[in-house]
Amino acid sequence: MPSPEIILTIVKVALMIGGLMTAAAYFVLLERRVAAWTQDRIGPNRVGMPLTNWRLWGLGQPLADGVKFITKEEYTPAHVDKPLFILAPISILVAALAVFAAVPVGSYLPVPESWGLGDKVDLVVAPHMDVGMLYVFALSSVAVYGVVLGGWASNNKYSFIGGLRSSAQLVAYELPLGLGILGVVLAAGSLDLEEIIRAQVRDGVWYAFAQPLGFIVFGVAAFAEAGRLPFDLPECEQELVGGYHTEYSSLKLLLFLVAEFLHMILASFLIVILFFGGWSLPFGLTGAADAEQLSLAMGIFRLLVMSGKVFLVIVFFMLARWSWPRFRYDQLMALALKVMLPLGILNLVSLAVFYELRANITGGGGWGYEMLQLLACWVVCGAAWLAVAYARPLVADNRPRRDINSYRIDSQV
Amino acid sequence: MGTVIIDGQEVELKDGERLNCIQLAARVQNDIPRYCWHPGLTVVASCRMCLVQIGKKDPKTGEISITPKLVPGCQTLVSDGMVIVTTSDEVKNSRAMVEEDLLLRHPVDCPICDKAGECYLQDYHFQYGRDERRADIKPFTSRRREMGDTITLFVDRCVMCTRCVRFTREISGTNEMMIIDRGARDEIDVFPGFPLANKLSGNVADICPVGALCDKEFLYEQRVWYMKSHDNVCAGCSTGCSIFVHENQERIYRLMPRENQQINQWWMCDDGRYGWKHVHDEQRVTTPRKREGDTYTNIEWSPLLAGLDATLKNAKRLAVVLSPMLTVEEAYLLAKYARTIDEHALIAVGYVPVEGEDETFKSGFTIRAEKCPNRLGVSKVASHFQGELVAWSDLPARLASETFDALWLTGGYGHAWLADDMAATLVNIPTLIVQDMFTSAAYEAATYQLPGASFAEREGSYVNHADRLQSFQWAIRPPQGVQPEGRVYWQLLKLPGLYNGRRVMEDLAREIVYFAAAQQPVPPTGVDLKVNLLAAQPAGATV
Amino acid sequence: MRSDDPNITWIKEPELRLAGRMYLPLFAEGLATTFRHMAKAITNPVTVSYPEEEPDIGNPLIYRGVHRLNRDEQGRVRCVACFMCATACPAYCIDIIGAESPWPDREKYPESFTIDELRCIYCGMCEEACPVDAIELTSLYNLTGRSREEMIFDKEKLLSVYDVTKDQEPTKSTRMGVKAPS
Repeated sequence: MPSPEIILTIVKVALMIGGLMTAAAYFVLLERRVAAWTQDRIGPNRVGMPLTNWRLWGLGQPLADGVKFITKEEYTPAHVDKPLFILAPISILVAALAVFAAVPVGSYLPVPESWGLGDKVDLVVAPHMDVGMLYVFALSSVAVYGVVLGGWASNNKYSFIGGLRSSAQLVAYELPLGLGILGVVLAAGSLDLEEIIRAQVRDGVWYAFAQPLGFIVFGVAAFAEAGRLPFDLPECEQELVGGYHTEYSSLKLLLFLVAEFLHMILASFLIVILFFGGWSLPFGLTGAADAEQLSLAMGIFRLLVMSGKVFLVIVFFMLARWSWPRFRYDQLMALALKVMLPLGILNLVSLAVFYELRANITGGGGWGYEMLQLLACWVVCGAAWLAVAYARPLVADNRPRRDINSYRIDSQV
Repeated sequence: MGTVIIDGQEVELKDGERLNCIQLAARVQNDIPRYCWHPGLTVVASCRMCLVQIGKKDPKTGEISITPKLVPGCQTLVSDGMVIVTTSDEVKNSRAMVEEDLLLRHPVDCPICDKAGECYLQDYHFQYGRDERRADIKPFTSRRREMGDTITLFVDRCVMCTRCVRFTREISGTNEMMIIDRGARDEIDVFPGFPLANKLSGNVADICPVGALCDKEFLYEQRVWYMKSHDNVCAGCSTGCSIFVHENQERIYRLMPRENQQINQWWMCDDGRYGWKHVHDEQRVTTPRKREGDTYTNIEWSPLLAGLDATLKNAKRLAVVLSPMLTVEEAYLLAKYARTIDEHALIAVGYVPVEGEDETFKSGFTIRAEKCPNRLGVSKVASHFQGELVAWSDLPARLASETFDALWLTGGYGHAWLADDMAATLVNIPTLIVQDMFTSAAYEAATYQLPGASFAEREGSYVNHADRLQSFQWAIRPPQGVQPEGRVYWQLLKLPGLYNGRRVMEDLAREIVYFAAAQQPVPPTGVDLKVNLLAAQPAGATV
Repeated sequence: MRSDDPNITWIKEPELRLAGRMYLPLFAEGLATTFRHMAKAITNPVTVSYPEEEPDIGNPLIYRGVHRLNRDEQGRVRCVACFMCATACPAYCIDIIGAESPWPDREKYPESFTIDELRCIYCGMCEEACPVDAIELTSLYNLTGRSREEMIFDKEKLLSVYDVTKDQEPTKSTRMGVKAPS
């Protein structure tokens, strides 16, 4: 008989993987419905309960999609590097799933002492991970391996270009992503994701409002890391057929697509945890940060609040897809390295200065000083934004130059 | 010597040349439209389509005087100092008026007319005609009149150019066709009781500039714009007329003569013209087979050729019969292959079909009695290897005097050809390989049955009765399962790449003196081996 | 084309003003467009839920649905097997075998006339090319079949389409008040 902790962990892992896979499947349906709505259409609404005429607004669609994907021909082209070709989708999915071990989906639920688990269960697979943040970023960086491997192993120009673009993009956006987080870590004083949520409840303000610049930098970088529009250059169909997964079909393609959705879900979780207070609601509706005992109802309420926030962020991800056009590749890189990187550094430095100043004031200064710091952060954000607008780092004239002689222009054309 | 100015362009005349305006204009890519004029027929200048302005340039003053009247270009011979104008408004008006006149009573049934697409009237109307019709005569369907077994006449489509009438008078010399009635009512017809029944009758449909005379064989079979044209050589007799093979999707629809002044001028005979039917015959053999004991098994070409090669290498004495239906290249490759296996292999010439007498028409066009295209070429190849000519008739004696382990018999005739007594002799040979298009007594008894190609599927060269060698490419792909002979021999000799007639001919022309003239690329009209040979050889050398 | 070709008109992108460079108005504009369309999708979607709802095909004269072969006054196929439609067809889906007609007043007729409805792209070129108004595209849009062979329409089937549709849809030349070419 294994110990209750091990059983608990197994149950948590099973729930997590099952829940994530189901969520990914239904987010595909949601994505299709949102796409349809933004294009004046209705979207998939026919597939309902199998073997009956119940349509259920198309809720059976994910099942049909899954069956379709699995029963498609599993085709491996002759020219691919077979071990890597198989390894790529597996590695990307494994990494995407493993990340969630450190991601809390709520706070905790009270359980009877008789279960041998103490009086509460944390709603995270690996609770109290002091380096949770590091773990998350280490594993989510593995995603780039899957993409590059897929692109390389496919032995196909489009896949290869997709893989190259992807690696450059992901590496470039790791920097602003990290800088965006550093501000939060600085404010919360911990790398533990649960602790970061509690720090926001204690401060009484979500970091999205306390650190607007950091939020912008992190949000944009998270979009880019998830490979969502307007940053989906690794697989933009108009240029690269399917990008790094052009040569994939059936189950392996499904793994790639699921992994992409998991990245988006992860990005939503991180945005909610780091910047929107995780399970908390304002005005103490969700209780105190460090409450030792919670009622079961409150535990579930916190879970629902967090899920609702994540859902809203994901819907925003989907709306973003249909609202803004894709960046050109040079603009994408310019955005990362010319805009987001300096803004991230500015955010970190300004926050460090503010906290250092407040630390020198006895007792932290009280709420007046806190409001002052909030204001200062917004001023810095606005000033930085204006500065970027004036500097125009993204504007690039890519037209052939006409001031040099014409045959050289033609060679450019 | 002299200079003619046509539309401002000076053209030099050679000594003793007699050209009319149309021929002269053709030299500078200026196409003067015409219906009645045909280079092979006499000039009647009746259609008035080729009217041009002519004038004279004064050699002293350089002044040009143009005659007030338009003259028919076909009838006007050019001379030194002559000026021809084909682009003036007068000429354009005249052409437009001729077109309008012809179209007054011409039924506009182009959609169902077989000539549409290669019709002079259509082409010239688009090029020179008026944009709109002024006449109120409505289009109608054409009356039809049978000319003979091969040709039908759509009476109302006729433009009365009389090319067909002149053809039967001047070329075939049979005089069947004539004009009945006069003036606006004139029509083409045959003399009562004398239908168009000569062996050149198909040509009148070719020379008809409109859709009036149609070939019954081809009628409504295919629209002309779907067909692709391939240069080829007629395999019907040893005249070796230059022809076009018109095919669509690997199916021949018609053969047409290709101009070759050295051989057939503009004509071909009906025997050749309709002599392609066997190519698409249902009876054609299309599966290579191998005999084991008494049963035959279908076998793919590549294992078959490997097995064949091994069998022949075990045989001691080998004989090869080169059919006169083979091209020179194919005969050479087969003979060479036989000699690599048995260096004393017997190389004989196959059956030469002869029917009746040579038939010569008024113009000199001759249908030969020898109904195969390449007896001369194959004989030269065979005697080069053998040292003497072993003919088909000599073969039974040779087979009786010596025992042969294997014999390779090639056919390729469009009909049954093997005499029973000969077949009885052949079936006694232990390994008999027969390559033919149709089954025969020998084919039925063969150890290896190799389906062979028809003339349209071959690539190579024929030498006609007058030592003229013409090269050609394949026009259609052989039916599934059939390999052209040249390709089979090429594989057996294990030569690199794919069968290439030109490469074989280069080797062959170096090796066999008779073919020396073909060492250079062969023009579409062929090369005369005899003339070149006489020039190349010292006097008294034997050929 | 060379870049200094006089036919090229070189234009400059409009300069973004400060608001544009701030990106925020554009950001809001994008979202607003999205929401506007989402509202429209719920109140008035463009989707036609086909089996429950019949689509509005507009003018049947210019709708391009299933083909038919028209009959003449005597009930014979009007087609003269001129191959114009087969020549005009960009999808090579028309196959005709022409022959001499059995009727004294007609010269040529189609012995066989087949259209591969699956290969057809319904461009209407055949209809446009036909000199005798024999082939027409009807406004039948719900064409289905259970096999590929079933979707290869032969002459009889195409004529039967005419028989079925002639009452609702007379030949287009009649409907447009033009005399049909004979």
